[in-house]
Formats: sequence, structure tokens, C-alpha cells
Amino acid sequence: MKENYMSETLLKIQDLRTYFFTEAGIVKAVDGVSFDIKKGETLGLVGESGSGKTVASLSVLRIVPKPGKTIEGTIEFKGENLLKNTEKEMQSIRGKEIAIIFQDPSSSLNPVYTVETQLRDVLSAHQKITKEEARKKIIELMNLVGIPEAETRMHEYPHQFSGGMKQRVAIARALALQPTLLFADEPTTALDVTIQAQVLDLLEDLKKKMGMSLVMITHDMGIIAKMTTRVVVMYAGNVCEIARTLDLYERPRHPYTASLLAAVPRLDRKKTLKIIPGNIPNLIEPPSGCRFHPRCEYATKKCEEEPPKLEEVEPDHFVACYEWKNLTLSGETGKSE
Amino acid sequence: MKTENDKPIARQKRRSASQWAVAWRRFRRNKAGVAGLIIVLAVVFLGLFGDFFAPYPAFPNPHYLDPLYKGDVRKPPSATYPLGTDGIGSDVYSDILHGTKYALYVGVVVTIITMAIAITVGAIAGYFGGWVDNVLMRFTEVFLVFPSLLFILIFVRVFTLGAGVGTYFNFLGISVPVGLTIVVLVLAIFNWPGDARMIRGEFLRVRELEFVEAEKALGAGNRRIIFRHILPNILSSIIVVASLTIAYAILLEAAVSFLGFGDANTMTWGQILENNFNYMQTAWWAELFPGLAILITVFGFNLLGDGLSDALNPRLRD
Repeated sequence: MKENYMSETLLKIQDLRTYFFTEAGIVKAVDGVSFDIKKGETLGLVGESGSGKTVASLSVLRIVPKPGKTIEGTIEFKGENLLKNTEKEMQSIRGKEIAIIFQDPSSSLNPVYTVETQLRDVLSAHQKITKEEARKKIIELMNLVGIPEAETRMHEYPHQFSGGMKQRVAIARALALQPTLLFADEPTTALDVTIQAQVLDLLEDLKKKMGMSLVMITHDMGIIAKMTTRVVVMYAGNVCEIARTLDLYERPRHPYTASLLAAVPRLDRKKTLKIIPGNIPNLIEPPSGCRFHPRCEYATKKCEEEPPKLEEVEPDHFVACYEWKNLTLSGETGKSE
Repeated sequence: MKTENDKPIARQKRRSASQWAVAWRRFRRNKAGVAGLIIVLAVVFLGLFGDFFAPYPAFPNPHYLDPLYKGDVRKPPSATYPLGTDGIGSDVYSDILHGTKYALYVGVVVTIITMAIAITVGAIAGYFGGWVDNVLMRFTEVFLVFPSLLFILIFVRVFTLGAGVGTYFNFLGISVPVGLTIVVLVLAIFNWPGDARMIRGEFLRVRELEFVEAEKALGAGNRRIIFRHILPNILSSIIVVASLTIAYAILLEAAVSFLGFGDANTMTWGQILENNFNYMQTAWWAELFPGLAILITVFGFNLLGDGLSDALNPRLRD
């Protein structure tokens, strides 16, 4: 048994429900999600598109776009429930305590302002700062995220930067006030493969330097393996498995996690990639019971009837599945089958 | 550190490529737009200094009728009267020059008021959406379904009844005719709904862009997002619409005056047309030249608006 080396909890999400009240019906994008983020860790949040991983992170910042609304749950951050905060209190937390980096850097920067202006905006939003101080800080930040010639480039507009450089600007902006928690929502999806690695290295490096917690939101199991210490697997608005990354890859307990791992191409495995049959379900009328049961090859009658709860199957390894005891699922090593 | 960046040489050339620099470069290549700009600059110049070039002063200075005292009524264009004299013996050339400032006053002030209302309504409706949007847009539509010219005529007539002959008010040392100002206010009140809808549409578009979400995530409040982040992004559309609104306001005021509902004491171009309408067959020049002044000015602002639209519209950008 490994000791709990990072046990101090920074953020604790409990029974979070964020629904979208659309004309077609209520979309239950996040439906009863609980997990926590520990101080200084890198947590992976994985799942297919539409599994609710982005909505969950937006819920923490309370910036879920209309017609979405968080209707239930608690989000405990540094001893206070964020869902009980006023909008003003949230504004002072956003950017300063909790920040987020979005997927596409070319649209997450305001096109009409220079990089200097955008970074100064963030710096001056939460504190009094002179133009000269801000300038120094901006150059420092740009150096920190590895943008060369900061002093000249700070006067340029976002469209004059390449994709990877834009993402570095976005990272600099998110880190300007040294938040304690950073959500990175698919930060490399819109970038070239060669740049992806650089940006990931940068994030890892900055995380260590600044001692913050990082949440990597992605559907890329490779990024999860490379960067995270713990993983939360989401499916259709529910959490199906939480585990240390190594444990999860070695011994997944949930059939969905196993399918995700089996869908990753590997050179040392000649088997054809396994496809998860079917699509992610309609979240207006989600399947009864376990939401994965229509696509699950091990589903029983009970799976259709009642949604499973997260169970601790071994220390720090939780799974929401009735059948976990009866299953021996193959992980990344592919040996246990 | 390794970077995926461009070479510094390539970058230096793009240094000044701000949105406005790019737009100006594009605008300069558009001949029609530049022609519009020249016309507009000329009109602005004459609006500011036209009074000094006019051979005769303006009403109510009695010398404005000096041609009449010389017996020069309805004289065709000549060396003495470049654009002829009108039915009551006033120099048409002088009248047009004096009228330029009123045309600009109408165009600019109507546009400022129109835009102020339109931006406020459009921004609130577009940004907040939901029932706020519904209420504001239904209210806007109420204004849109009015037969606006008819309402303008009625309102102008009702409100100018109290404005006496030659009443002026002082604004920063400039005496402004009260009657014309009432016309301006009425025009603005009936002019904003279309622009408000345009601005609402732009807000709807821009508020969905990811950088708005990013700014929210960085702790920006609604006011900051509206004024600092969304408004500058739609400034180009606002500038285009504003220049077209100036043209439209000048035209509308001319129509109101021509129909005899304007401020009879203020010789706007439309008023000159109205005053000389009865002499059209014997003194066509007193109708033609003020009409041309309106035409050229409106045309100039329209060309400028189209040119700006081409230069600023990112969808047409090559």
C-alpha cells in the first residue's frame, strides 16, 4: 500500500449537478459528480466529448454559459462553498485563485488588444499596479512561458503569433496572478503535434515552479499517462472511476475505462483497436441505471435498473460498477486477459 | 529554448499590423471610398469655414437680401452670383455655404444620439439575452412599425409650434437654432431602432466567442466585458453604420424641410428647396444647386461608409 503523499485537499466537489435548460429538454450534462483535487497534484479528467468534463470545470468557476445552471452540490475550495458565493466574490476568485486555459488559443485571446494590454488587464483587475511595474511583470511572465523577445513581442497582436505562441500567451495570462488551481481544458488539441509536447512540458514545468494544482481535461490517454498522478474518468455526466494513474493503466476496474485504454493505438500490440460500440447517450433522457450499460458487454439486469455508486475497491481507487469483482479487465499492459 | 517561431526579419514587417493600420491600407486602395472621404472632408471644411467664404451673410442679418435691393431677383448663375439668386433675392451660393453647417449639425448630432441609444439598447439586449432581450426588442419593434416619416412630421410640427422665430440657444459659445434641434431630436428618436438591432446582433455574435468566456474566467465583470471587450470588437461595424446614418439623417431632414415641416427660420438645404419650389420654372438654379449639395454630401458619406465597410469587415479581408 502506497502512502498518501499528497493528501491535503484543495478542492472538493460533491454531488455536482449542472443542467442545461434547453427548449428540447433538460440536458443533464453533469449529474451527480464528486471528486476532489489535492494540493500540488496533476489530476486528469478524461472522457469522450460530451461526457461533462468541461462543464464540470466551468461549474467550479461558475461560468457555465446559459441556459446552463448548477442546481445542486457543493464545491468546497479553501473552506468555502463556491456555489454559495456572490458573483462579486467569484470575480475575485477567478483568475486569482482558480484559472482556466481553453482549447483554442486563437479564439481565447481578444483580437483587438496587444499582448501587453491583455496581460496588464489581468494584472490590474485584482490589484493596483503602475504601468511600469506591470511592464516588468509582463516581460517576466512572457519569459516564464518561453516567448522570446518579450520586449518587442508584447506590443504585437494575437494574430501575429503562431498557435503555440498564442497558447503560451494564454498560459501566461492564466498564471499572471499565480492561481493555486489551474484547469487546462484540452490545451493542446488545437495545436500541431510537435508543439503539443512543448506546451505540455511547459505546463508541467510551471506547475512545479508555482506549486499549484493542475487539472488536465482531455480525451487523450497519452497525455494522461504522461502528465497526471491521478485520474477521474467521466462518462455521460457521471464519474465512473477515480484512481492513481498507474493503477488505472495497470488495472482498470470499470469496463468503460478498459475500453478507453483499448482504443489507444500501440505499436507493441498487433491487435486491431477496439471500438466502443454505440455513441455517447442523449443526456436529455439518459439511460436508466448505469449510463454505460447499453454499450457495456458485461451489463446485467441490475445495471439497467439502478445507477451504481462509487465504491472504494482498494485505497484511492474508486469505481462505479456492480460487476467489478467479477471482471478482470485488461489495462495498458494488456497482460491480464 | 526551442521555439516554433518565425524569423525576426519577417516579423519586423508586420510590426505595425494593428487592426486599424490594416484597415487603412485596405481603405486607401478603394477609390470610391477615398473619393467619399475627400467629399466628406470638403463638406466638413465648408461646414466649419463656409460662412467666411460666403459673399453675403445669412438670415437674420438684413444684408442677406442685398441682391434684392439691387434688383437682382431670380438672376441666373453669373460672375456676380455663381449659382444665381432665388425668388426673394438671396444669393444661392451664399445660402448653400451657410447651410453646410446645418447639414453637418443634423447629420452628426442625429447620429451621436442615435448611436448612444442604439448601443445602450443593443448591448444590453444582446449581451444579457433572455427576457431582457425580449422586452427591449419588442420595444424596439414598436418603433420600427411606426410609419416613421409620418410620425416625424407630426412630432416636428407639434414640438416646433412653441419655438419662436429665430430662437437660439447657446452651446459652448455657438448659437444653435432651437427649431432645428427639435427636428434633430425627433429624427434621432425615430432612427435608433434599426441600428439597435444591428448592434444587438453583433453582441450576440461576439459574446459567444471564446475570449469572452476566457475574460469571464479571469474575473471580468459584465460591465468590463461589454465595454472593454465586446464593444471594441464591433467598433468597425459601428463606424460603418454611423457614417451611413449621417447620410440618412441629412436626407431625412431635407425631406422634412422640403415638405414644409422643418424649422422655417434655419436655412438648411431642404429649407432652401422648400422656399424656392414655387419658382422652379423661372429659377431652376435655386432648386438644382441646393439639391446637388444634398446629393453630393449624402453620396460622399455613403461612399465613405461603403469604403469603411470593405476595409473593416474581416469577412471580406483577403
